[in-house]
Formats: sequence, structure tokens, C-alpha cells
Amino acid sequence: MTQTPPQPATVLQRSGDDWHFMFHAMATPCELRLETNDRATALAASRAVESEARRIELKFSRYRDDSIVGQINASNGRDVTVDAETAHLLDFAANCFDVSGGLFDITSGVLRRVWKFDGSDRLASAEQIKSVTPFVGWNKVTWRSPVIALPPGMEIDLGGLAKEYAVDKALAVVQAITKDPALVNFGGDLRVSGPRKNGLRWKVAIESVEAAGQLAGLLELADGAIATSGDSRRFLLKDGVRYGHILNPRTGRPVAHAPRSVTVAAATCVEAGMIATLAVLQGRNAEKFLKREAVRAWCIR
Amino acid sequence: MQLKSRPSRRRVRESITALSASLLAATVSGHAQAQDSSSINNDFGPGVNYTEFDSALLVYQESGSRVLAIEPAGTLTLHGSSGAQLGMEVVFDAVSGATPNGAVPSNLTQTFMTPVKIVTPGTSGGSTTVTGSSGGSTVITLPGTPGTVSYGTRSYTVAPNVLPVDKGFNDHREGFNFSWSQPLGSISAVGFGAGYSTEKDYRAITGNARISQNFNTDNTTVSLALNAEFDSSSPYGGVPTPFTPMSGDWKKPAGKDKTQLGFVLGLTEVMSRHWLMQLNYSFDTQSGYQNDPYRILSVVGAISGEPTAYLYENRPNHRQSQSIYWDNKFDFGPSVTDLSFRYFTDDWGISSKTAELSERFDLSRSMYIEPSARWYQQSSANFFHNYLVQGQALPTFATSDSRLEAFTSLTYGVKLGFNLTQRTELYFRGGYYQQQGNGHPAGAIGQLANQNLFSGTNAAFGFIGYTWDFH
Repeated sequence: MTQTPPQPATVLQRSGDDWHFMFHAMATPCELRLETNDRATALAASRAVESEARRIELKFSRYRDDSIVGQINASNGRDVTVDAETAHLLDFAANCFDVSGGLFDITSGVLRRVWKFDGSDRLASAEQIKSVTPFVGWNKVTWRSPVIALPPGMEIDLGGLAKEYAVDKALAVVQAITKDPALVNFGGDLRVSGPRKNGLRWKVAIESVEAAGQLAGLLELADGAIATSGDSRRFLLKDGVRYGHILNPRTGRPVAHAPRSVTVAAATCVEAGMIATLAVLQGRNAEKFLKREAVRAWCIR
Repeated sequence: MQLKSRPSRRRVRESITALSASLLAATVSGHAQAQDSSSINNDFGPGVNYTEFDSALLVYQESGSRVLAIEPAGTLTLHGSSGAQLGMEVVFDAVSGATPNGAVPSNLTQTFMTPVKIVTPGTSGGSTTVTGSSGGSTVITLPGTPGTVSYGTRSYTVAPNVLPVDKGFNDHREGFNFSWSQPLGSISAVGFGAGYSTEKDYRAITGNARISQNFNTDNTTVSLALNAEFDSSSPYGGVPTPFTPMSGDWKKPAGKDKTQLGFVLGLTEVMSRHWLMQLNYSFDTQSGYQNDPYRILSVVGAISGEPTAYLYENRPNHRQSQSIYWDNKFDFGPSVTDLSFRYFTDDWGISSKTAELSERFDLSRSMYIEPSARWYQQSSANFFHNYLVQGQALPTFATSDSRLEAFTSLTYGVKLGFNLTQRTELYFRGGYYQQQGNGHPAGAIGQLANQNLFSGTNAAFGFIGYTWDFH
């Protein structure tokens, strides 16, 4: 029997013209800002956001046996039938695999077995990498909606998608409750419903990659979403070279010369997150990729 | 691993956009993804295509019933999402009133003469029908009489102990400017512009080109601008020969030109989150006709100080000048401060210093107030003379124009702005300009010791302006 661990306290308080709700989910601090004076509406929206975040966390967590991802990863080659929501996410992941030329691959999680990003200098050896690369590659998976079959030893990990997807879904549940201007932010991946009242922009602070807690800049957002892909928290440091935690599934190694942080603005959080991830995967060419694709983005090296 | 071939050069981002939209459309029921057409997009800024329209009206009135100027202006700026920008400005100016003619006051009545052209319009011809004796009729056209142009002298008198001004001063000016700027390859911005301005007796054509480059993640900008101007002066009454007596004769030549070339080197630096700085160095050289064709100097008696003659002024044909300008914007706490300094020097002997401070306070979300003060001090041109003395040799160059004299000025102003909506702003600005000069120089001869020889002025001004952004 699995037990849900006790959740850290949630907070709902006034902040300027907003009701501000904070909670903890998907291993990150989460918040909702709603520009309203009505506490009842704020409370209803906060409950809806928290429950949607936890629903998605539980459903797609790779750590839980009872999540769909846990079931797929334990299937040992057998067919698994998934529900509509999971099917849409797998379709999205499959299409992104094609569009990115194989750089975005939800089966690359097994590389984690040999790469531990704990700030130490222990890089994986060539033998270690060779031991897991046979189990990496979405093209080896049989996916014909709604049935998926993974060859034994392979795993899928929706962690690279789930947080951004949760932001978009959480904002949708808020908008079903109220038309007040809202901002949903899960650990730096955020989206706004539109401009604040009087057409003013939301102000978002960007954390510095050098020192946690320091500000690198301030963004003003009138619409759409922002997602950040970066390594400020999870990395390896050897001989002064910083190896970010984004692994190139084709080589089995961290992306060489990846920018420390890429922040992308787009209409939805899923889109922003995917472009940010693809940009980091371009390594040295991240800025060129973003410029060529005419994306509103900021790279920090 | 077998990989598919690299994605085609068709944009990856478009595919991701479409895929994300269909994922969310499928999983988010009843959620409108597209922007509601009735909602207002109030996003103006980098990366957005928008148009900005500014209009302003300036009213300027000098004290003592001197010059009144009214100037409406409109500017349209088109901002492209890639950083390109097209600006167009139209200015109209109407100036009237009285302006000093350059003579010094006297304790006697003075009479001044200027040329005047009297144009009598002709009559146009008419047609009349003449009936012939045989009953037929013919239409006959009668010739009109031609108009006439005659030249004469307009004279005006000035009361004793009063600064001589010419009251018949009125003019209007129309000007048009356009500018274009855009990023080019790895260069942050290149641009060029041109302008044309015309008034009854003056025409100016300007052209400029600029290039600028950003460094340090846009914290530093270095720029170079080249500018050129060609002016044609065609004064009413013709161009007087310098140091000839003031008279009502119609003068020759009809006009003279001036050319100006210059450059500005600029550096803008974001010093910190709260401090932005700009440093500019300018260099200019002008050659050609620089005189004020309507201005004279009094030649006074060596003992009495009474005017004995009036001569047209003369300035050098060349002028070279340089200036350094330093502007700082600070943002500490509730107000934004703008503090700037300028130092100017030229080869006419003029050097000047300017210091300007303004402070902007946001009174509410949609209203701000910005008081400002400006201090200016200049030395006089080395050929400035309040008057010339009879019997002394004439200098090579001389002018009594107070704008080339040593003076100090203070300007006080306040601006009040209202953000009517997120995309429109209405502002009012008013102020007062005070000049102080030496009206009683040591060594003033005879009756001039009792006169105020400074012909500068004070003025009040007001602006009303309206800015409007739209997509």
C-alpha cells in the first residue's frame, strides 16, 4: 500500500492587488496569482490548481507503481493500453522526436542509471554508457494509439513534459472558474491568462544562474508562457567544466557546450518548454537555433 | 540506432507550435486557445509590430510683447517586430511679434528704415459680347491690366529709452523629416534620415546617416552619426553688404547659402540596474553665410553715446564647434531622475555650460508629475559688440545679437502626464525661461551708461501633447 507523504503547508495570502497561493508539488515550489479581491474565488481557484497539479504528478510520476508511467515501465514488453490524456501526451512526444531529429526522446531516462548529477566530478565511463544505450531510442518503441509496448529494459519518462503540461492544464482549470487575470507558476515554468487589469503586464523575476536567490533580470509578460531549461541546480563539475543535466540521447553524454540556461516565451507552456529543451540540446548552436526559429528567448552561457 | 534524416529546413518551431496547440486542444476541454477578438492587446514593445503617433502643440511667448510662436507638430513612428523603424514628422510654425533689430536704446527718438516691396495685383481680363449690325454676335476678350511691383522704404520709429525692436516680424515655417533605422546582419542598427524645412526667407535641407552597435548583452551601445545641412537664406529686402548703412534699398544678391557638416560619436552604458548613462561628442563645421541679414549695430558718438549711424552686421564665414554631452538617468525609489551636463566651445570665442535636472514622480498608476530646472551660461563671441564707436576703425566682424552675447539663463518647468489608457498618454508642460545679461557694461559711453544694453528676453511656454500607440 503506497502512502502519500504529508504535504508541506500551503499558503493563501494577499499580495498587493492579488491573492497569492503557494504550495509544493512535482518537487518544486508552485504558485498561483489571481488579480481579484474576492477571497472565495481565490480559494476555489487555488484548490483547483493544487488538485490538478497533484493529479498530473501522481498520474505521470515514474516513481509510483500506480501511475501510468510506472505501469508502462514495469510492463516488460507487454502491451499497455493508455487513456486519452496519456495517448495525447505520447503522440506529442512521438512527434517531437521526429521534428527534433531524435534529440528529444522520452526513452533517454535510462541514461540516468549511469549519470548522477550531484555536483560531483564523477563522469560516466564509455563502458557504462555503452551498457545503457541499447535501451535508448523511441524508434524501438511500438506505439499505436492507444496501445504502447516497450521492449524489456526500456523506460519512458514524461518528466521533460509533465511540468509544462501541468501549468497549461492548471491555468485552464482556473479560467473555467474565473475570468480574473491569473498567473500559474510551477518552479519557473509559468503562463498567464492575459494582461493584468488596465492592460498592465505581469512582472516576472529571472533567477541568476550564478547564485541561487539572486536576480538576473526582470521580464514583463502580457500574454503567453515562459519556460526555462537549464542546469543551475543539477550538474557535474570536473576540471572546471560544467556538465549540464540534459543528456543527448544520440551520444549518451551531456550536451556539449550547452547554455547554462535558456528561457523561452511562447503561447503555451508546453510549447515554450519544448523549444527551450530543443535549444539546450543544440549545445553550442543554441542561440543560432533560437534566432533561426525566430523565438523570443534568452540564453545565458 | 536508426535515425530519421534531419528535419527539413522548414521551421521546427512551427511544428512544435502546432503540436502543442493540438495536444492542449485535445486535453483541455472547452478552453478557448485563440485570443478572444474582443480582448484588447495592450502589448507594445520590442518584438511587436506597432505604430506610435505623437502630436504636440507648443506655445511660446516672450515678455514685453516680443515674439509669439505657435508650433503644432505630429510624428508617426512605425515599429517593426524585427527592430526596423520608420519615422515621419511634420512641423508647422507660426511666429510673430517684435524682435530686437540690434541697435542700442537712446534718450532720443530713433528712426529705422528697411526695404519694402509693394505688389499691386493686376486685374484679370473680362469678356464681353458685341452684337454686330447684322444681328450676329461675337465674343471679344478684353485684356487685363498687369500688376505692378514697386520698391520703397518702410520706416518705423522707436521711443526714447526703449530697446529698439522691429514690430513687423512675422513668419511661418513648414518642416518635414523622415528617418529609417533597422538592424543589418550583425550590426545592431543602421539608419538614415532626411529633412526639409521652408519659411518665407529661409530653406534648409538636412541629411544624416547613423550606425550603432550593441555589446555586453546590450548593456553598451556605441554609435556614430554623420549629418549635413544645406541652408539657403533669401532675406526680405535682399542680402545687405556688411557694414553698409541701414537703408530702404532693395539689396543684392537676393540670397546666400551655408553648408554644415558634422558628426556625433555616442556611447550609452547601462551602469547598473538603476543607472543609465549616455556620453556624446559632437563636432560641427559650418561655412557660408552666417549673418543675420536684418540685424544692425548702432555707431554712437564717442562722447555722447548718441547713435549717429546704423550699419549691417558681419560674422565670419566659417564656424567650427565641438561639444560633449553627458546624460544620466537614475531610478532610486519612487522617482526617476534625469541629470545632464553639456559643454560647448567654438572658434567664435563662445563656450557654454548647461546643467539640467528633472525628477519624475508617479502620483498614481496613471498620472505623473515631472518638475525640471535648467541652468545655462555662455561667454560672448569674440566679435560681439553692444555698439560701435564713431571714429574708431571698424572691426573685421561685429554683431550685437544677444544670442552671441555672454548671458546666463534659468528655465523652470513642470510636466504633468496622464496615461488615459494603456496605449494613450496626454501631457501638459509649462515653464518659464529667464535670461540675465550684462545690461550695464563698464565703459558704456555717454547716455549709454543710463541705458539697459542687454537685449535678451524672458519667455513663458506651454506644451500640450498626445501620444497614441496602436497595432
